[in-house]
Amino acid sequence: ENISDFSLNITDCTQVVVPEEVFFTVAAAGILENLLILIAVIRNKNLHLPMYFFICSLAISDMLGSLYKTLENIFIILCKMGYLTRHGDFEKKLDDAMDSMFILSLLGSIFSLLAIAADRYITIFYALRYHNIMTLRRALVILAVIWAFCAGSSIAIALFSYEAATVIPFTILFPLMMFFILCLYVHMFLLARSHAKKIASLPSSTVHHRTNMKGAITLTIFLGVFLCCWAPFVLHILLARFCPHNPYCACYMSIFHVNGTLIMCNAIINPMIFAFRSPELRSTFKKMFYCSR
Amino acid sequence: MSALRLISNRTSQPALSNSDYTWDYEYYEYGPVSFEGLKAHKYSIVIGFWVGLAVFVIFMFFVLTLLTKTGAPHQDNAELSEKRFRMNSFVADFGRPLESERVFSHQMAEESQSLFHFCINEVDHRNKEKENQKGPSLESNTHFHEVPKSSGMLEEDLHCLTKFNIPNFVNTEQNSSLGEDDLLISEPPIIL
Repeated sequence: ENISDFSLNITDCTQVVVPEEVFFTVAAAGILENLLILIAVIRNKNLHLPMYFFICSLAISDMLGSLYKTLENIFIILCKMGYLTRHGDFEKKLDDAMDSMFILSLLGSIFSLLAIAADRYITIFYALRYHNIMTLRRALVILAVIWAFCAGSSIAIALFSYEAATVIPFTILFPLMMFFILCLYVHMFLLARSHAKKIASLPSSTVHHRTNMKGAITLTIFLGVFLCCWAPFVLHILLARFCPHNPYCACYMSIFHVNGTLIMCNAIINPMIFAFRSPELRSTFKKMFYCSR
Repeated sequence: MSALRLISNRTSQPALSNSDYTWDYEYYEYGPVSFEGLKAHKYSIVIGFWVGLAVFVIFMFFVLTLLTKTGAPHQDNAELSEKRFRMNSFVADFGRPLESERVFSHQMAEESQSLFHFCINEVDHRNKEKENQKGPSLESNTHFHEVPKSSGMLEEDLHCLTKFNIPNFVNTEQNSSLGEDDLLISEPPIIL
């Protein structure tokens, strides 16, 4: 039980510690930002649309992720101050509940991003029938199914996380979803480019030839941010399962807190990429803030 | 993270004693890990992972940029006709109806033609412009949002094509920076 059993080597990889203030600031910013989006969508009737519901779903999963980290911090501090024992039954149950909340957040994020990409895809390629394909009721049903599946899987994964059978699907799901989302967006991207070319080739076209880079940059930012924020943690899970005693793996796992902070940063960046790009949502925010003054 | 406790419990020693408790996490050491005789740098996985991720993202960026240069090589016929009618509706909206219609009208399917008329009528109705009424408007249960168009946008009228509101998209800003990139991020307007 004692760390004195552990031979401390001067070249050991010690845990990289993220300052408490940074952690709480990032978590609080993530929670507030996503809460703001939820409130804005609920209050503005114009935003009761399938697309905004999917963005709300993403905001909820981001909020859950940040909430998890905050609760865990508080839990640790309470343990440190002695209010909670570390091996009690209640604490273990609380711990399991928090683990499943975190995995719920990850799965919810992935599926929300998938839903947003699919929604945009249908908008582009089935534009005229979009209103019939993606009704409000269907969008709510899709969200209910997604969250039920995520809740079930997260509880299963948290309970059986020591089994390789849960770790492997979990880590395969992540790149698979990313690849699928990438395919959807690339297809939309190609269509946009072909349309732009057609416009440019019109006889009386006066359009300026827009820079080609902007679309590529935007898509790269969107997918790159998600990848950079979540992939480190997913790799951590893999390494913790398969090579916990390997010194290289142990050194990777020592930066775990940085990975956790990255996930919370994703909660802050996601609204900027998705929600705040919408003019209607921005005007709702302005109205909210001006009214409150 | 506490989930790791579940993962590590099977293979590692029990928890650290309270006196070795760090301020923030219950992190269970994974037992004595020997750092002797490492061939590579001890953070090699960390460095390798981040370098690999950066390379992948940059590679993806270059692939996308390459796609922008070559464009889409082939499209469906249905897609083509749908796109053309949309294009015609936008072009007609901005006062260049006959020219482009002649260019494309012979290729339009009948369905797209009636939809084209519908679009024209929708846009006409909303903008209060007098376009040629080519035929009966198509009955539709879709809801188009208002598209306020300022008259001063004729200079960049083809940019304004991107403001066309398809159902469920609220896009009322006269923002000429909207373009094909916003297809990906904000409510994607139809890009022609």
